[in-house]
Amino acid sequence: MIPRWEYEDPEPFVKKLKELRERGVPADRIAVLMPYPVHGFEQIMGLKPSPLRFFTLGGALTGLVLGFAFPILTVRDWPLITGGKPLISIPPFVVIAFALTILLGALASFVGFLHLSRLPSVPGIQNPEEHGNRFVIEDHSEGVS
Amino acid sequence: MSRRAFFEGVERDVLAAMKRPRPSYWIALTAAALVFACGLALWGYQMVRGMGVAGIRHPVGWGVYITDFVFWVGIAHSGTLISAVLFLFRAGFRSSFNRFAEAMTVFAVMTAGLFPLIHLGRSWFFYWLFPYPSQRLLWVNFRSPLVWDVFAVSTYFTVSAVFFYVGLLPDLALIRRHTRGIRQWFYRVLSLGWAGTARQWNHYNQLYLFLAALATPLVVSVHSVVSWDFAMSMVPGWHTTIFAPYFVAGAIFSGTAMVLTLGIPMRRILGLEKYITKDHFESLTKMLLVTSLIVTYAYIVEIALAWYSGHKFETAHFSYRLFGHYRGMYAIMVICNCLLPLTLFVRKLRRNIPYLFVLSILVNVGMWLERFVIIVTALAKEYDPYSWGTYTPSWVEIGITAGSFGMFFTFFLLFTKLLPVLSITEIKEREE
Repeated sequence: MIPRWEYEDPEPFVKKLKELRERGVPADRIAVLMPYPVHGFEQIMGLKPSPLRFFTLGGALTGLVLGFAFPILTVRDWPLITGGKPLISIPPFVVIAFALTILLGALASFVGFLHLSRLPSVPGIQNPEEHGNRFVIEDHSEGVS
Repeated sequence: MSRRAFFEGVERDVLAAMKRPRPSYWIALTAAALVFACGLALWGYQMVRGMGVAGIRHPVGWGVYITDFVFWVGIAHSGTLISAVLFLFRAGFRSSFNRFAEAMTVFAVMTAGLFPLIHLGRSWFFYWLFPYPSQRLLWVNFRSPLVWDVFAVSTYFTVSAVFFYVGLLPDLALIRRHTRGIRQWFYRVLSLGWAGTARQWNHYNQLYLFLAALATPLVVSVHSVVSWDFAMSMVPGWHTTIFAPYFVAGAIFSGTAMVLTLGIPMRRILGLEKYITKDHFESLTKMLLVTSLIVTYAYIVEIALAWYSGHKFETAHFSYRLFGHYRGMYAIMVICNCLLPLTLFVRKLRRNIPYLFVLSILVNVGMWLERFVIIVTALAKEYDPYSWGTYTPSWVEIGITAGSFGMFFTFFLLFTKLLPVLSITEIKEREE
Protein backbone atom coordinates (compact mmCIF):
# COMPACT_ATOMS: atom_id res chain seq x y z
CA MET A 1 0.00 0.00 0.00
CA ILE A 2 1.52 3.30 -1.09
CA PRO A 3 1.15 6.06 1.52
CA ARG A 4 -1.02 8.80 0.04
CA TRP A 5 -2.04 12.19 1.36
CA GLU A 6 -4.61 14.56 -0.08
CA TYR A 7 -5.02 18.19 0.88
CA GLU A 8 -7.52 20.90 0.09
CA ASP A 9 -5.04 23.68 0.73
CA PRO A 10 -1.47 24.21 -0.34
CA GLU A 11 -0.10 25.04 3.15
CA PRO A 12 -0.44 21.60 4.75
CA PHE A 13 0.60 20.10 1.42
CA VAL A 14 3.84 22.08 1.43
CA LYS A 15 4.39 21.16 5.07
CA LYS A 16 4.01 17.46 4.35
CA LEU A 17 6.23 17.73 1.31
CA LYS A 18 8.97 19.39 3.38
CA GLU A 19 8.57 16.77 6.07
CA LEU A 20 9.00 13.94 3.57
CA ARG A 21 12.05 15.58 2.08
CA GLU A 22 13.57 16.12 5.52
CA ARG A 23 13.00 12.47 6.29
CA GLY A 24 15.29 11.81 3.36
CA VAL A 25 12.78 10.57 0.79
CA PRO A 26 14.34 11.16 -2.64
CA ALA A 27 12.45 13.58 -4.89
CA ASP A 28 11.96 11.05 -7.68
CA ARG A 29 10.19 8.77 -5.20
CA ILE A 30 7.55 11.35 -4.35
CA ALA A 31 4.65 11.61 -6.77
CA VAL A 32 2.89 14.94 -6.56
CA LEU A 33 -0.27 16.18 -8.27
CA MET A 34 -1.19 19.86 -8.14
CA PRO A 35 -4.17 21.75 -9.61
CA TYR A 36 -1.86 24.76 -10.06
CA PRO A 37 1.84 25.17 -9.36
CA VAL A 38 2.48 26.04 -5.71
CA HIS A 39 5.05 28.78 -5.42
CA GLY A 40 8.53 27.34 -4.90
CA PHE A 41 7.65 23.64 -5.18
CA GLU A 42 10.79 23.09 -7.26
CA GLN A 43 13.01 24.15 -4.38
CA ILE A 44 11.08 22.13 -1.80
CA MET A 45 11.28 19.00 -3.90
CA GLY A 46 14.84 19.73 -4.89
CA LEU A 47 14.01 19.52 -8.60
CA LYS A 48 16.71 20.59 -10.99
CA PRO A 49 15.81 23.42 -13.37
CA SER A 50 14.07 21.98 -16.38
CA PRO A 51 16.45 21.02 -19.21
CA LEU A 52 13.89 22.57 -21.53
CA ARG A 53 16.19 25.55 -21.98
CA PHE A 54 18.57 23.47 -24.08
CA PHE A 55 15.76 22.71 -26.50
CA THR A 56 14.94 26.41 -26.72
CA LEU A 57 18.56 27.35 -27.25
CA GLY A 58 19.09 24.63 -29.84
CA GLY A 59 15.99 25.62 -31.79
CA ALA A 60 16.78 29.33 -31.64
CA LEU A 61 20.38 28.84 -32.81
CA THR A 62 19.27 26.54 -35.62
CA GLY A 63 16.78 29.21 -36.70
CA LEU A 64 19.43 31.90 -36.56
CA VAL A 65 21.92 29.95 -38.68
CA LEU A 66 19.23 28.81 -41.09
CA GLY A 67 17.87 32.35 -41.37
CA PHE A 68 21.20 33.57 -42.71
CA ALA A 69 22.32 30.45 -44.56
CA PHE A 70 19.11 29.95 -46.51
CA PRO A 71 18.89 33.41 -48.15
CA ILE A 72 22.63 33.43 -48.81
CA LEU A 73 22.67 30.00 -50.40
CA THR A 74 19.56 30.57 -52.51
CA VAL A 75 20.73 33.94 -53.80
CA ARG A 76 24.05 32.36 -54.78
CA ASP A 77 22.18 29.54 -56.47
CA TRP A 78 20.66 31.99 -58.94
CA PRO A 79 22.42 35.35 -58.67
CA LEU A 80 19.88 37.99 -59.60
CA ILE A 81 20.57 41.60 -58.73
CA THR A 82 17.45 43.54 -57.76
CA GLY A 83 17.29 47.21 -56.88
CA GLY A 84 21.05 47.55 -57.35
CA LYS A 85 21.68 45.99 -53.98
CA PRO A 86 24.48 43.53 -53.25
CA LEU A 87 23.52 39.90 -53.64
CA ILE A 88 24.34 39.07 -50.07
CA SER A 89 22.71 41.95 -48.21
CA ILE A 90 22.94 41.25 -44.52
CA PRO A 91 20.39 43.81 -43.16
CA PRO A 92 17.40 42.36 -45.00
CA PHE A 93 18.48 38.84 -44.09
CA VAL A 94 18.50 39.83 -40.42
CA VAL A 95 14.71 40.09 -40.63
CA ILE A 96 14.46 36.50 -41.90
CA ALA A 97 16.98 35.24 -39.34
CA PHE A 98 15.12 37.04 -36.55
CA ALA A 99 11.79 35.47 -37.51
CA LEU A 100 13.25 31.99 -37.86
CA THR A 101 15.13 32.26 -34.54
CA ILE A 102 11.85 32.90 -32.76
CA LEU A 103 9.87 30.38 -34.78
CA LEU A 104 12.24 27.46 -34.32
CA GLY A 105 13.00 28.47 -30.73
CA ALA A 106 9.31 28.35 -29.86
CA LEU A 107 8.61 25.13 -31.74
CA ALA A 108 11.65 23.36 -30.28
CA SER A 109 10.59 24.47 -26.79
CA PHE A 110 7.12 23.06 -27.33
CA VAL A 111 8.42 19.76 -28.69
CA GLY A 112 10.94 19.61 -25.86
CA PHE A 113 8.19 20.18 -23.33
CA LEU A 114 6.09 17.37 -24.77
CA HIS A 115 9.08 15.07 -24.73
CA LEU A 116 10.18 15.90 -21.18
CA SER A 117 6.67 15.78 -19.70
CA ARG A 118 5.87 12.51 -21.48
CA LEU A 119 2.96 14.03 -23.37
CA PRO A 120 0.75 13.11 -25.10
CA SER A 121 0.23 10.29 -22.64
CA VAL A 122 -2.03 7.55 -23.95
CA PRO A 123 -2.98 6.17 -20.50
CA GLY A 124 -3.57 9.76 -19.38
CA ILE A 125 -6.02 10.23 -22.24
CA GLN A 126 -7.75 6.86 -21.89
CA ASN A 127 -8.00 6.88 -18.14
CA PRO A 128 -7.20 10.30 -16.69
CA GLU A 129 -6.47 10.44 -13.00
CA GLU A 130 -8.67 13.15 -11.56
CA HIS A 131 -7.87 14.75 -8.26
CA GLY A 132 -10.06 17.83 -8.46
CA ASN A 133 -8.70 20.81 -6.64
CA ARG A 134 -6.78 18.64 -4.22
CA PHE A 135 -3.05 18.47 -3.73
CA VAL A 136 -1.89 14.87 -3.72
CA ILE A 137 1.34 13.35 -2.42
CA GLU A 138 2.31 9.73 -2.82
CA ASP A 139 5.37 8.26 -1.17
CA HIS A 140 6.83 5.53 -3.39
CA SER A 141 9.98 5.03 -1.31
CA GLU A 142 8.57 2.09 0.67
CA GLY A 143 9.89 -1.29 -0.34
CA VAL A 144 12.65 0.23 -2.43
CA SER A 145 15.27 0.99 0.18
CA MET B 1 -14.87 33.07 1.46
CA SER B 2 -12.80 29.96 1.86
CA ARG B 3 -10.28 29.09 -0.79
CA ARG B 4 -12.10 25.92 -1.71
CA ALA B 5 -15.40 27.73 -2.19
CA PHE B 6 -13.64 30.29 -4.36
CA PHE B 7 -12.00 27.64 -6.53
CA GLU B 8 -15.24 25.80 -7.04
CA GLY B 9 -16.91 29.11 -7.78
CA VAL B 10 -14.38 29.99 -10.50
CA GLU B 11 -14.78 26.61 -12.13
CA ARG B 12 -18.56 26.78 -11.93
CA ASP B 13 -18.78 30.31 -13.29
CA VAL B 14 -16.31 29.90 -16.14
CA LEU B 15 -17.65 26.50 -17.13
CA ALA B 16 -21.23 27.79 -16.91
CA ALA B 17 -20.29 30.12 -19.76
CA MET B 18 -19.64 27.01 -21.87
CA LYS B 19 -23.04 25.45 -21.17
CA ARG B 20 -25.85 25.14 -23.71
CA PRO B 21 -26.11 28.50 -25.45
CA ARG B 22 -29.15 30.73 -25.40
CA PRO B 23 -31.12 31.56 -28.59
CA SER B 24 -29.42 34.98 -28.76
CA TYR B 25 -26.11 33.17 -29.14
CA TRP B 26 -27.40 31.13 -32.06
CA ILE B 27 -28.74 34.26 -33.70
CA ALA B 28 -25.39 36.01 -33.32
CA LEU B 29 -23.47 32.98 -34.59
CA THR B 30 -25.75 32.53 -37.59
CA ALA B 31 -25.47 36.20 -38.48
CA ALA B 32 -21.67 36.16 -38.22
CA ALA B 33 -21.39 32.93 -40.19
CA LEU B 34 -23.70 34.28 -42.91
CA VAL B 35 -21.63 37.44 -43.29
CA PHE B 36 -18.52 35.25 -43.43
CA ALA B 37 -20.09 33.05 -46.09
CA CYS B 38 -21.04 36.12 -48.14
CA GLY B 39 -17.45 37.30 -47.92
CA LEU B 40 -16.21 33.94 -49.17
CA ALA B 41 -18.74 33.99 -51.99
CA LEU B 42 -17.53 37.43 -53.02
CA TRP B 43 -13.95 36.21 -52.98
CA GLY B 44 -15.05 33.39 -55.28
CA TYR B 45 -16.79 35.93 -57.50
CA GLN B 46 -13.58 37.95 -57.65
CA MET B 47 -11.59 34.85 -58.63
CA VAL B 48 -14.03 34.04 -61.41
CA ARG B 49 -14.48 37.57 -62.76
CA GLY B 50 -10.96 38.80 -62.11
CA MET B 51 -9.52 41.68 -60.13
CA GLY B 52 -11.53 44.19 -62.15
CA VAL B 53 -14.41 43.75 -59.73
CA ALA B 54 -12.27 45.40 -57.04
CA GLY B 55 -11.80 49.15 -57.09
CA ILE B 56 -8.00 48.96 -57.06
CA ARG B 57 -6.44 50.11 -60.31
CA HIS B 58 -3.78 52.50 -61.47
CA PRO B 59 -2.57 54.57 -59.64
CA VAL B 60 -4.02 53.16 -56.41
CA GLY B 61 -3.00 49.49 -56.53
CA TRP B 62 -3.23 48.93 -52.79
CA GLY B 63 -6.65 49.58 -51.37
CA VAL B 64 -9.06 48.11 -48.89
CA TYR B 65 -7.50 44.62 -48.93
CA ILE B 66 -4.13 45.87 -47.74
CA THR B 67 -5.89 48.19 -45.28
CA ASP B 68 -7.71 45.17 -43.88
CA PHE B 69 -4.50 43.18 -43.70
CA VAL B 70 -2.72 45.87 -41.68
CA PHE B 71 -5.82 46.39 -39.54
CA TRP B 72 -6.18 42.72 -38.59
CA VAL B 73 -2.49 42.17 -37.95
CA GLY B 74 -2.66 45.23 -35.72
CA ILE B 75 -5.66 43.89 -33.82
CA ALA B 76 -3.67 40.76 -33.04
CA HIS B 77 -0.88 42.64 -31.31
CA SER B 78 -2.44 43.59 -28.04
CA GLY B 79 -3.31 39.93 -27.41
CA THR B 80 0.37 39.09 -27.44
CA LEU B 81 1.18 42.17 -25.42
CA ILE B 82 -1.31 41.16 -22.75
CA SER B 83 -0.34 37.52 -22.66
CA ALA B 84 3.44 37.78 -23.04
CA VAL B 85 4.65 41.22 -22.01
CA LEU B 86 2.30 41.59 -19.06
CA PHE B 87 3.25 38.05 -17.98
CA LEU B 88 6.92 39.05 -17.84
CA PHE B 89 5.96 42.20 -15.92
CA ARG B 90 3.76 40.14 -13.56
CA ALA B 91 0.75 42.42 -14.05
CA GLY B 92 -2.11 41.04 -11.99
CA PHE B 93 -4.96 42.16 -14.23
CA ARG B 94 -3.50 40.10 -17.09
CA SER B 95 -5.23 36.88 -16.06
CA SER B 96 -8.65 38.49 -16.58
CA PHE B 97 -7.92 39.10 -20.23
CA ASN B 98 -5.12 36.87 -21.44
CA ARG B 99 -7.14 33.85 -22.58
CA PHE B 100 -9.62 35.62 -24.81
CA ALA B 101 -7.03 38.16 -25.91
CA GLU B 102 -4.83 35.27 -27.08
CA ALA B 103 -7.79 33.75 -28.91
CA MET B 104 -8.39 37.14 -30.48
CA THR B 105 -4.75 37.21 -31.61
CA VAL B 106 -4.94 33.82 -33.27
CA PHE B 107 -8.21 34.59 -35.05
CA ALA B 108 -7.09 38.08 -36.09
CA VAL B 109 -3.86 36.75 -37.63
CA MET B 110 -5.85 34.07 -39.44
CA THR B 111 -8.15 36.76 -40.83
CA ALA B 112 -5.21 39.01 -41.70
CA GLY B 113 -3.40 36.16 -43.45
CA LEU B 114 -6.24 35.80 -45.94
CA PHE B 115 -5.96 39.34 -47.26
CA PRO B 116 -2.64 39.06 -49.09
CA LEU B 117 -4.14 35.99 -50.78
CA ILE B 118 -7.32 37.86 -51.67
CA HIS B 119 -5.19 40.71 -52.96
CA LEU B 120 -3.05 38.35 -55.07
CA GLY B 121 -5.81 37.87 -57.58
CA ARG B 122 -4.67 34.43 -58.61
CA SER B 123 -4.99 33.24 -55.03
CA TRP B 124 -4.35 29.63 -55.96
CA PHE B 125 -0.67 30.48 -56.56
CA PHE B 126 -0.23 31.62 -52.96
CA TYR B 127 2.53 29.05 -52.42
CA TRP B 128 4.77 31.06 -54.74
CA LEU B 129 5.27 33.30 -51.71
CA PHE B 130 7.20 30.58 -49.93
CA PRO B 131 10.75 29.59 -50.79
CA TYR B 132 10.64 26.04 -52.06
CA PRO B 133 12.75 24.21 -54.61
CA SER B 134 10.73 24.57 -57.79
CA GLN B 135 11.12 23.38 -61.35
CA ARG B 136 11.81 26.97 -62.36
CA LEU B 137 14.87 26.92 -60.09
CA LEU B 138 13.87 30.38 -58.86
CA TRP B 139 13.90 31.42 -55.23
CA VAL B 140 12.01 34.24 -53.60
CA ASN B 141 13.73 37.60 -53.23
CA PHE B 142 14.74 37.76 -49.59
CA ARG B 143 15.53 41.44 -49.96
CA SER B 144 11.87 42.22 -50.52
CA PRO B 145 9.77 43.41 -47.55
CA LEU B 146 6.89 41.36 -48.90
CA VAL B 147 8.89 38.19 -48.30
CA TRP B 148 9.82 39.42 -44.81
CA ASP B 149 6.10 39.73 -44.25
CA VAL B 150 5.54 36.09 -45.16
CA PHE B 151 8.10 35.06 -42.56
CA ALA B 152 6.99 37.55 -39.91
CA VAL B 153 3.28 36.80 -40.17
CA SER B 154 3.59 33.02 -40.41
CA THR B 155 5.99 33.00 -37.45
CA TYR B 156 3.58 35.20 -35.55
CA PHE B 157 0.65 32.92 -36.25
CA THR B 158 2.54 29.76 -35.28
CA VAL B 159 3.99 31.17 -32.07
CA SER B 160 0.68 32.71 -30.96
CA ALA B 161 -1.16 29.48 -31.65
CA VAL B 162 1.38 27.46 -29.64
CA PHE B 163 1.29 29.96 -26.81
CA PHE B 164 -2.50 29.90 -26.77
CA TYR B 165 -2.61 26.12 -26.72
CA VAL B 166 0.05 25.73 -24.03
CA GLY B 167 -1.82 28.18 -21.82
CA LEU B 168 -4.96 26.10 -22.29
CA LEU B 169 -3.47 22.73 -21.28
CA PRO B 170 -4.19 22.70 -17.52
CA ASP B 171 -7.65 24.12 -18.11
CA LEU B 172 -8.46 21.49 -20.72
CA ALA B 173 -7.53 18.82 -18.20
CA LEU B 174 -9.87 20.51 -15.75
CA ILE B 175 -12.83 20.65 -18.14
CA ARG B 176 -12.51 16.96 -18.85
CA ARG B 177 -13.62 16.37 -15.27
CA HIS B 178 -16.81 18.36 -15.77
CA THR B 179 -17.95 16.87 -19.07
CA ARG B 180 -19.34 13.55 -20.17
CA GLY B 181 -19.40 11.37 -23.28
CA ILE B 182 -18.09 12.62 -26.59
CA ARG B 183 -17.43 16.09 -25.23
CA GLN B 184 -15.26 14.58 -22.55
CA TRP B 185 -13.26 12.66 -25.14
CA PHE B 186 -12.72 15.88 -27.05
CA TYR B 187 -11.13 17.49 -24.00
CA ARG B 188 -9.29 14.33 -23.00
CA VAL B 189 -7.49 14.19 -26.33
CA LEU B 190 -6.94 17.95 -26.43
CA SER B 191 -5.42 17.96 -22.94
CA LEU B 192 -2.94 15.26 -24.08
CA GLY B 193 -3.48 13.39 -20.81
CA TRP B 194 -2.13 16.22 -18.64
CA ALA B 195 -2.06 15.18 -14.98
CA GLY B 196 -0.38 18.05 -13.17
CA THR B 197 2.58 16.18 -11.71
CA ALA B 198 5.51 18.06 -10.21
CA ARG B 199 7.68 17.12 -13.18
CA GLN B 200 5.07 18.40 -15.67
CA TRP B 201 4.61 21.68 -13.82
CA ASN B 202 8.36 22.13 -13.62
CA HIS B 203 8.72 21.88 -17.40
CA TYR B 204 5.47 23.75 -17.98
CA ASN B 205 6.51 26.82 -16.02
CA GLN B 206 9.76 26.95 -17.88
CA LEU B 207 8.03 26.55 -21.23
CA TYR B 208 5.52 29.27 -20.48
CA LEU B 209 8.26 31.68 -19.48
CA PHE B 210 10.27 30.93 -22.62
CA LEU B 211 7.27 31.27 -24.90
CA ALA B 212 6.45 34.61 -23.27
CA ALA B 213 10.04 35.71 -23.77
CA LEU B 214 10.00 34.58 -27.40
CA ALA B 215 6.63 36.18 -28.12
CA THR B 216 7.63 39.52 -26.60
CA PRO B 217 9.96 40.59 -29.45
CA LEU B 218 7.19 39.61 -31.86
CA VAL B 219 4.97 42.34 -30.40
CA VAL B 220 7.50 44.83 -31.71
CA SER B 221 8.81 43.06 -34.78
CA VAL B 222 5.74 41.91 -36.68
CA HIS B 223 4.11 45.26 -37.17
CA SER B 224 7.50 46.83 -37.83
CA VAL B 225 7.91 44.43 -40.73
CA VAL B 226 4.39 45.26 -41.91
CA SER B 227 5.27 48.95 -41.77
CA TRP B 228 8.37 48.31 -43.88
CA ASP B 229 6.12 47.09 -46.68
CA PHE B 230 5.48 50.80 -47.00
CA ALA B 231 8.54 52.48 -45.53
CA MET B 232 11.00 50.58 -47.75
CA SER B 233 9.43 52.06 -50.87
CA MET B 234 10.17 55.51 -52.31
CA VAL B 235 6.61 56.77 -52.01
CA PRO B 236 6.16 60.18 -50.32
CA GLY B 237 4.23 59.72 -47.09
CA TRP B 238 5.51 56.17 -46.69
CA HIS B 239 9.26 56.52 -46.87
CA THR B 240 9.96 57.52 -43.29
CA THR B 241 11.89 56.05 -40.39
CA ILE B 242 9.13 56.66 -37.86
CA PHE B 243 6.90 54.06 -39.50
CA ALA B 244 7.93 51.03 -37.44
CA PRO B 245 7.30 52.46 -33.93
CA TYR B 246 4.30 54.37 -35.27
CA PHE B 247 2.71 51.17 -36.57
CA VAL B 248 3.54 49.19 -33.43
CA ALA B 249 1.91 51.79 -31.18
CA GLY B 250 -1.10 51.92 -33.49
CA ALA B 251 -1.35 48.13 -33.44
CA ILE B 252 -1.40 47.94 -29.66
CA PHE B 253 -3.84 50.84 -29.55
CA SER B 254 -6.32 49.20 -31.91
CA GLY B 255 -5.83 45.76 -30.36
CA THR B 256 -6.53 47.06 -26.88
CA ALA B 257 -9.67 48.68 -28.20
CA MET B 258 -10.71 45.33 -29.70
CA VAL B 259 -10.12 43.57 -26.36
CA LEU B 260 -12.56 46.07 -24.85
CA THR B 261 -15.05 45.65 -27.71
CA LEU B 262 -15.04 41.88 -27.22
CA GLY B 263 -14.57 41.78 -23.46
CA ILE B 264 -17.32 44.15 -22.37
CA PRO B 265 -20.28 42.29 -23.92
CA MET B 266 -18.68 38.92 -23.20
CA ARG B 267 -18.28 39.70 -19.52
CA ARG B 268 -21.89 40.71 -19.27
CA ILE B 269 -23.46 37.96 -21.35
CA LEU B 270 -21.43 35.20 -19.69
CA GLY B 271 -21.78 36.72 -16.23
CA LEU B 272 -18.09 37.11 -15.46
CA GLU B 273 -18.32 40.45 -13.62
CA LYS B 274 -16.73 38.88 -10.56
CA TYR B 275 -13.51 38.03 -12.37
CA ILE B 276 -13.16 40.85 -14.88
CA THR B 277 -13.63 43.83 -12.62
CA LYS B 278 -13.85 47.53 -13.28
CA ASP B 279 -10.32 47.89 -11.94
CA HIS B 280 -9.09 45.49 -14.58
CA PHE B 281 -10.84 47.45 -17.30
CA GLU B 282 -9.34 50.61 -15.91
CA SER B 283 -5.84 49.17 -16.18
CA LEU B 284 -6.51 48.22 -19.78
CA THR B 285 -7.92 51.66 -20.47
CA LYS B 286 -4.71 53.27 -19.25
CA MET B 287 -2.88 51.21 -21.85
CA LEU B 288 -5.34 52.53 -24.43
CA LEU B 289 -4.68 56.10 -23.34
CA VAL B 290 -0.89 55.77 -23.43
CA THR B 291 -0.86 54.21 -26.89
CA SER B 292 -3.31 56.86 -28.10
CA LEU B 293 -0.87 59.54 -26.98
CA ILE B 294 1.98 57.80 -28.79
CA VAL B 295 -0.11 57.54 -31.95
CA THR B 296 -1.03 61.23 -31.70
CA TYR B 297 2.63 62.06 -31.28
CA ALA B 298 3.47 60.01 -34.38
CA TYR B 299 0.81 61.87 -36.40
CA ILE B 300 2.42 65.15 -35.39
CA VAL B 301 5.94 63.92 -36.04
CA GLU B 302 5.25 62.68 -39.54
CA ILE B 303 3.78 66.03 -40.51
CA ALA B 304 6.61 67.87 -38.79
CA LEU B 305 9.20 65.71 -40.53
CA ALA B 306 7.66 66.43 -43.92
CA TRP B 307 7.56 70.14 -43.20
CA TYR B 308 11.08 70.27 -41.78
CA SER B 309 12.53 68.25 -44.66
CA GLY B 310 11.44 70.93 -47.10
CA HIS B 311 10.98 68.07 -49.55
CA LYS B 312 8.52 69.25 -52.17
CA PHE B 313 6.77 65.91 -52.62
CA GLU B 314 6.60 65.15 -48.90
CA THR B 315 5.00 68.49 -48.08
CA ALA B 316 2.66 68.17 -51.04
CA HIS B 317 1.67 64.75 -49.85
CA PHE B 318 0.81 65.85 -46.35
CA SER B 319 -1.14 68.87 -47.46
CA TYR B 320 -3.07 66.46 -49.70
CA ARG B 321 -3.61 64.04 -46.83
CA LEU B 322 -4.93 66.76 -44.54
CA PHE B 323 -6.89 68.89 -46.99
CA GLY B 324 -7.28 66.82 -50.15
CA HIS B 325 -9.83 64.35 -51.39
CA TYR B 326 -9.74 62.15 -48.28
CA ARG B 327 -9.75 64.99 -45.70
CA GLY B 328 -13.03 63.80 -44.19
CA MET B 329 -11.51 60.44 -43.34
CA TYR B 330 -8.41 62.10 -41.93
CA ALA B 331 -10.56 64.31 -39.71
CA ILE B 332 -12.60 61.36 -38.40
CA MET B 333 -9.35 59.50 -37.77
CA VAL B 334 -7.93 62.36 -35.69
CA ILE B 335 -11.17 62.68 -33.72
CA CYS B 336 -11.38 58.95 -32.99
CA ASN B 337 -7.72 58.24 -32.32
CA CYS B 338 -6.40 61.44 -30.77
CA LEU B 339 -9.20 63.56 -29.34
CA LEU B 340 -11.80 61.13 -27.96
CA PRO B 341 -9.28 58.99 -26.03
CA LEU B 342 -8.15 62.13 -24.19
CA THR B 343 -11.38 61.90 -22.22
CA LEU B 344 -9.81 58.86 -20.52
CA PHE B 345 -7.80 61.20 -18.35
CA VAL B 346 -11.03 61.47 -16.38
CA ARG B 347 -11.16 58.58 -13.93
CA LYS B 348 -14.93 58.44 -13.94
CA LEU B 349 -14.98 57.82 -17.66
CA ARG B 350 -12.26 55.18 -17.41
CA ARG B 351 -14.59 53.26 -15.13
CA ASN B 352 -17.73 53.83 -17.17
CA ILE B 353 -18.16 50.51 -18.97
CA PRO B 354 -20.79 51.55 -21.57
CA TYR B 355 -18.70 54.58 -22.42
CA LEU B 356 -15.61 52.40 -22.90
CA PHE B 357 -17.54 50.10 -25.19
CA VAL B 358 -18.65 52.94 -27.46
CA LEU B 359 -15.19 54.49 -27.38
CA SER B 360 -13.49 51.20 -28.26
CA ILE B 361 -15.65 50.84 -31.37
CA LEU B 362 -14.86 54.41 -32.41
CA VAL B 363 -11.15 53.72 -31.93
CA ASN B 364 -11.45 50.68 -34.17
CA VAL B 365 -13.13 52.81 -36.81
CA GLY B 366 -10.43 55.43 -36.43
CA MET B 367 -7.62 52.91 -36.71
CA TRP B 368 -9.10 51.30 -39.80
CA LEU B 369 -9.35 54.76 -41.37
CA GLU B 370 -5.76 55.51 -40.37
CA ARG B 371 -4.48 52.60 -42.44
CA PHE B 372 -6.78 53.51 -45.31
CA VAL B 373 -5.62 57.12 -45.29
CA ILE B 374 -1.93 56.17 -45.13
CA ILE B 375 -2.18 53.66 -47.94
CA VAL B 376 -4.55 55.34 -50.33
CA THR B 377 -3.55 59.01 -50.10
CA ALA B 378 0.09 58.15 -50.71
CA LEU B 379 -0.68 56.24 -53.89
CA ALA B 380 -3.39 58.56 -55.18
CA LYS B 381 -1.00 61.50 -55.56
CA GLU B 382 2.50 60.25 -56.13
CA TYR B 383 5.14 62.15 -58.10
CA ASP B 384 3.80 62.56 -61.60
CA PRO B 385 0.59 64.61 -61.97
CA TYR B 386 -0.17 62.59 -65.09
CA SER B 387 -0.79 59.56 -62.90
CA TRP B 388 -2.79 61.14 -60.13
CA GLY B 389 -6.14 59.64 -59.35
CA THR B 390 -8.57 58.68 -56.65
CA TYR B 391 -9.85 55.41 -55.35
CA THR B 392 -13.26 54.31 -54.15
CA PRO B 393 -13.72 50.79 -52.78
CA SER B 394 -16.06 48.66 -54.86
CA TRP B 395 -18.97 46.76 -53.31
CA VAL B 396 -16.95 43.54 -53.62
CA GLU B 397 -14.15 45.00 -51.52
CA ILE B 398 -16.60 46.30 -48.93
CA GLY B 399 -18.36 42.94 -48.87
CA ILE B 400 -15.11 41.03 -48.36
CA THR B 401 -14.14 43.42 -45.58
CA ALA B 402 -17.48 42.80 -43.89
CA GLY B 403 -16.89 39.09 -44.45
CA SER B 404 -13.59 39.30 -42.59
CA PHE B 405 -15.43 40.67 -39.56
CA GLY B 406 -17.92 37.84 -39.98
CA MET B 407 -15.07 35.32 -39.97
CA PHE B 408 -13.44 36.85 -36.91
CA PHE B 409 -16.67 36.91 -34.91
CA THR B 410 -17.68 33.41 -36.04
CA PHE B 411 -14.42 32.01 -34.68
CA PHE B 412 -14.64 34.09 -31.54
CA LEU B 413 -18.23 33.02 -30.81
CA LEU B 414 -17.30 29.36 -31.30
CA PHE B 415 -14.35 29.87 -28.97
CA THR B 416 -16.55 31.20 -26.17
CA LYS B 417 -18.54 27.99 -26.13
CA LEU B 418 -15.78 25.46 -26.76
CA LEU B 419 -12.97 26.72 -24.54
CA PRO B 420 -12.85 28.51 -21.19
CA VAL B 421 -12.75 32.26 -21.83
CA LEU B 422 -10.78 32.89 -18.66
CA SER B 423 -7.74 31.04 -17.49
CA ILE B 424 -9.15 29.14 -14.53
CA THR B 425 -5.76 27.87 -13.40
CA GLU B 426 -4.22 31.30 -13.48
CA ILE B 427 -7.08 32.91 -11.62
CA LYS B 428 -6.58 30.31 -8.88
CA GLU B 429 -2.88 31.09 -8.86
CA ARG B 430 -3.58 34.82 -8.74
CA GLU B 431 -5.83 34.31 -5.74
CA GLU B 432 -2.97 32.80 -3.73
